Amino acid sequence: MKKMIVLIGNYGSGKTELALNFAFKAAERGERTELIDLDMVNTFFRLTERGRLARLREIRVVSPNYASSGIESLSVPAEVQSAFAMDWDTVVFDVGGDAVGSTALGRYHQDFMELEPGALEVLNVVNIRRPLAGTVEKIMHLQEEMQIHGRLKITGMINNTNLAQMSSPAELRDGYEMIREVSEKTGVPVAYTSGKKALLDQFLAEGHDPRYIGTPFPIDTYMQRDWDSWVKGLGGPSEQVLFESAGGWGPNERKKWERDSLTAQET
Amino acid sequence: MALTLMKGSEAIAEAAIRAGARFFFGYPITPQTEIPEYMSARMPEVGGCFLQAESEVAAINMVYGAAGTGARVITSSSSPGVSLKQEGISYCAGAQLPCVILNVMRGGPGLGNIQASQGDYFQGVKGGGNGDYHLLTYAPSSVQEAIDIMMFAFDKAEKYRMPVLFLADGIIAQMMEPVEMPEMVDYKVDPEKKPWACTGWKPGDDPAKRGVINSIYIDTESLSVHNAKLQAVYAEARKNEQMWENYKTDDAEFIITAFGTVARVAKTVVDQMRAEGVKAGLFRPISVWPFPYDALREAVLRDGVKGVLDVEVNEGQMLEDVKLAIEGGKPVKFFGHLGSQFPTTAEIKSEILKMKEGK
Repeated sequence: MKKMIVLIGNYGSGKTELALNFAFKAAERGERTELIDLDMVNTFFRLTERGRLARLREIRVVSPNYASSGIESLSVPAEVQSAFAMDWDTVVFDVGGDAVGSTALGRYHQDFMELEPGALEVLNVVNIRRPLAGTVEKIMHLQEEMQIHGRLKITGMINNTNLAQMSSPAELRDGYEMIREVSEKTGVPVAYTSGKKALLDQFLAEGHDPRYIGTPFPIDTYMQRDWDSWVKGLGGPSEQVLFESAGGWGPNERKKWERDSLTAQET
Repeated sequence: MALTLMKGSEAIAEAAIRAGARFFFGYPITPQTEIPEYMSARMPEVGGCFLQAESEVAAINMVYGAAGTGARVITSSSSPGVSLKQEGISYCAGAQLPCVILNVMRGGPGLGNIQASQGDYFQGVKGGGNGDYHLLTYAPSSVQEAIDIMMFAFDKAEKYRMPVLFLADGIIAQMMEPVEMPEMVDYKVDPEKKPWACTGWKPGDDPAKRGVINSIYIDTESLSVHNAKLQAVYAEARKNEQMWENYKTDDAEFIITAFGTVARVAKTVVDQMRAEGVKAGLFRPISVWPFPYDALREAVLRDGVKGVLDVEVNEGQMLEDVKLAIEGGKPVKFFGHLGSQFPTTAEIKSEILKMKEGK
């Protein structure tokens, strides 16, 4: 059965990082995987910039027209339809932040409704360390708004509470407490708890109620940048330089993009 | 205090409000539109005023007007928008109006592109508008540093009665980092402390207390006196307000000079090279006006230092100040990209290795 994972959530909650992780894990299992960048809101630091990493894993990537090209007026490509029309094992949608980002899903309402029962997971990625998702009320309000704008019912939440480079198990623990309350009030289950493996293991060892943890989902970070190892007050060398160019749009980037889009056309 | 994960633009906007800013006038432009967006929602919550002006020119003139009342006022824009503001900035400097101006730099010249850049260094520190004036100019290198600078920016602006400019490359506004947000400052306009401010003089009041906000001095004598006054202020600021960071420069053979986000890439290079046995260091100006000439000279003019590599995302603008500081005392090379491409650790390393090999 085709499985579809739709990631929505507040802006900056970690949807893109999770989308890459869901897709890469599916591909590692040998599944035919498609990754759809449906972020129509954000201009910078988007999934498409890591398209090459996905294609190296034989994942098909669909990006909005003009994504990462230095133009802000993105448009939804017809190719998104391939998620529904073609025979995939796993399709992951990385949707833009907040209700305004979820709006892009509305156009595919009919397609989503025609999926087999149980095939669709609509996941609200929550990071309570983001100011706009910092209280139970804010999370519930946003959840409601995103469902209306995206015309999809949220099937589960992901506790992805983190402070980027400064994360500790306390983030997951505080997230757990707050999201548990949201879950009790709304009836939306906690589907996953995600974080870097070491932190996740520490959190799990604390023995919390598994009903509010869901499936533990250890992640790797792929959106890391050359400058990310230096947060004020934090020392330590860069973990790994994952990408040759850091976010800019120079001649090398352009060549890479042209090469990639040619390859995409060939397939 | 609890850390939160904030995007640079949100954090800078919130910090401005916590520092007492209650007036924001601006106009949207990428990559800083999130600042007015945030302000539009937040200002009404704190009893402040958000106003989207009809243009950048209008916005800076609104800043001029509101700052004249002694209120804490801020505007933000990105490179082409800041170009439009230059006349107003010069007027604010001439009329000695404290205010804060944010430039989230993108590629140029002209419309350039919407990616991060450092191409407005000249515009910021060498005077983008007309006349002999300076702005206290800061180049934050992290979101937290931008917040910390914002918390004293209005105090400095008021102390010297001069505008403060944030020269932040687009990455600073767009990146998301864990930050600690300081408590709200309780700021109220105190006419005693700001006798120059226009706070409601009416006929019959003490004529001595009538505030006049003005940058026009028609006769040569009074303009000359006014300029001498400004220059005395700048001399004082030069003496007191230089900020910089020395990172492992004590025993360094090769010193990188960089500001903003590039300095963070450079820091990683310093550590990587030291792990490989090359003694590298970083000198990072935090205030770019006043530029920390003496501190840089001191860091570089030691025996042992073999060369300086200046790295920027422009054609080598701060490079001129670096050279002025070093006065030919050591070889200085430049590495940078145009068109908003950020130098990578690998590129900077290879440049230093070339210097090491004497190329």
